[in-house]
Amino acid sequence: MQIYLPIAEMSLNALMLLGLGGMVGFLSGMFGVGGGFLMTPLLIFIGVPPAVAVGTEANQVVAASVSGALAHWRRGNVDIRMGVVLMIGGFIGSTLGVSLFTFLREIGQIDFVIAVSYVLFLGIVGILMVVESVRAWFRSRNPSAPRRKLHHHTWLHGLPFKMRFRRSKLYISALLPLGVGVVVGILAAIMGVGGGFVMVPAMIYLLGMPTSVVVGTSLFQIVFVTANVTFLQSVNNQTVDIVLAMLLVVGSVIGAQIGARVGSRLRGEEVRIALGLIVLAVCARVAWTLVATPDDLYSLGIGGAH
Amino acid sequence: MSRLLSPLSKWVVRWSVVLGALCAPVPANAQSIVADLSTREVAISTGFTGAELLLFGATEGFGDIVVTVEGPKRDEIIRRKERVAGIWVNGMSVTFEDAPAYYRTAASKPLSEIASPQVLEKLQIGSGRIDLTTRSQGNAERDLKFRDAFIRSKERQALYSEDISDIKIIRGRLFRSTIPFPVNVPTGTYQVTVHLFKDGRLVSSEKTPLTVRKVGLEAKIYDFAHEHAAWYGMIAIAIALMAGWLAGVIFRRA
Repeated sequence: MQIYLPIAEMSLNALMLLGLGGMVGFLSGMFGVGGGFLMTPLLIFIGVPPAVAVGTEANQVVAASVSGALAHWRRGNVDIRMGVVLMIGGFIGSTLGVSLFTFLREIGQIDFVIAVSYVLFLGIVGILMVVESVRAWFRSRNPSAPRRKLHHHTWLHGLPFKMRFRRSKLYISALLPLGVGVVVGILAAIMGVGGGFVMVPAMIYLLGMPTSVVVGTSLFQIVFVTANVTFLQSVNNQTVDIVLAMLLVVGSVIGAQIGARVGSRLRGEEVRIALGLIVLAVCARVAWTLVATPDDLYSLGIGGAH
Repeated sequence: MSRLLSPLSKWVVRWSVVLGALCAPVPANAQSIVADLSTREVAISTGFTGAELLLFGATEGFGDIVVTVEGPKRDEIIRRKERVAGIWVNGMSVTFEDAPAYYRTAASKPLSEIASPQVLEKLQIGSGRIDLTTRSQGNAERDLKFRDAFIRSKERQALYSEDISDIKIIRGRLFRSTIPFPVNVPTGTYQVTVHLFKDGRLVSSEKTPLTVRKVGLEAKIYDFAHEHAAWYGMIAIAIALMAGWLAGVIFRRA
C-alpha cells in the first residue's frame, strides 16, 4: 500500500513504514533507548532525504518519549531542578543546532555532516557499550575482581555557579548539566535523535547522578528539546513530515510495548552487548556511504529555489 | 449533475475535434496539427505513484512528429563530490538558472533523421540542446561537464527522458504518445509541444498546457507546512504529545 508523503515528496509503502517503526520500537523497548539513532539512518537508507529524516524523526521522538516521561514523573523519578537546567541547555543547543542545520543545508553539506555525526557518535557509543558490557559480563562470572571507584573528584567539581540538586543528592556547578544539555541539543537538531544515548552516560559518569533518576530526567529533557527541534525545523526548513512521523509513531509504540516485555526476560549485559553490536553495524553502514566511491560524482542539490 | 456531465462532454468535444480534423477537407498545403491530452491535470494525492498521460492527435498529411514536454523552470544546483582524506564531500557547485524541472522528448524516429542539428538547436529540441545558463562566469569546459552531469542526474530521477520510438503513427495521420511522470514529479505548469516536420523543416507546432499539482490532504499539509510553518510545527508537536500520551494510557490498561 503506497502512501504519498507530502513533505518528503515521495511514495513509500505504508506497511513497510509501520513495520520499520515496529522494529525500531521493539529494539528501543527492549533496550530502553529512544531509537532515533537507528530510525534516522534507516529512513535515509530507504531513500528519505536526510534533512526530512532528521526533522521528522525529532517529531517522532517527542511521541516516543512522552509516555515514558509521564510514567517516570508519576513515580517521582524525575529530578525537576536538574531536568530544567538540562532543558535550558537543550533549548540553547537545539536552537544553535537548527541554525547550523539550515546553514549547512544551504551550502550543500548537510548530508555529509549528518553522516559524519552518525559515524562518530555511533562508533564511540557502540564501542563503549560493548567494552563496558563485556567487562560487566566477566565481572559477574568472577565476583572477586576489584570494583571501580564510584566517585572521582576532578577539576569539573571546581567550576563556579554551584547548585544543589536534592533529588540527585548532588551539589555541583550548574554549568555541567547546562553544558551536557547544550551538546545533546545540538545532536538532537543535527541527528534527529533524543540524545539519550549520550545524555544517560554523561549523567551517570560526568554528573554522578543516581541511576534511579537518570532515565526519568533524561526523558523529561528529551520531550522538551525534541519538541523545540520539531518547531524550529518546521519554521526554518519545512522538513517535518507529519504523515511519515505518524506512521512511524504507530508502529513504534506497539513495537516498544512488545520489546519491553521481551527485554525484561533477558540478562542486562547480554542485551547491552547486542545493542552495542547493532549500533556498530549501523555505524559501519553509514561509514560505507562516506568512503565508497559514488556511482556519479555529481548530484542535484535541493531544488525548488524558484 | 453538470459536474458529472462536463468531463464527458469535454471528451466528446475533444474527439470530435480530432475526428473533424481527419474528415474535413483541408487545402492541400495548409499543414495543420491537432493534439490533446487524456487529461490536462496530474493530481498528486495519497496513493500517487507516478502517472502516465496519453497524448493523441492527428496531422494533415505525412510527416515526422516530435513531442517535447517542458516542466516549470527553476534554479537547479548541481554539486560535484571530491575526495578529502578518503571521504567523499560535496565540493564545487554550479547553479543553472531557470532550468526546466522536467523535460521529455519523444519522436517518431531518431531526431537526426528528422531534422538537421541546426534546426533542432534553434528549436531547442532534445535535452542536450535546452537552454541552461549559469550565474557564475566560470570556464566553459567546466560548465559543460556540469551540464552533462545535470542532465544525467535528471535522467536518473526519470525527470528528463528521450524516447525516439514512443510515437505511434496510425495510417499516416493519427498519432499517439505517452508522457510518463515519476512519483517525484515537480508541481507547476508544463508545456506540451507537438512539432510536425516535413523534409527536415518545421511546418507546424501546437502547444498544450498541463498542470501538475498536489490535491486533497497532501496538498493541504504541504501548503500549511510552507505558509503557516509555526502553526504546523506546533500542531506536529501536539499530535506527537497526544499520540505518545494515548499509547501510554492504552498500554497501561492492557
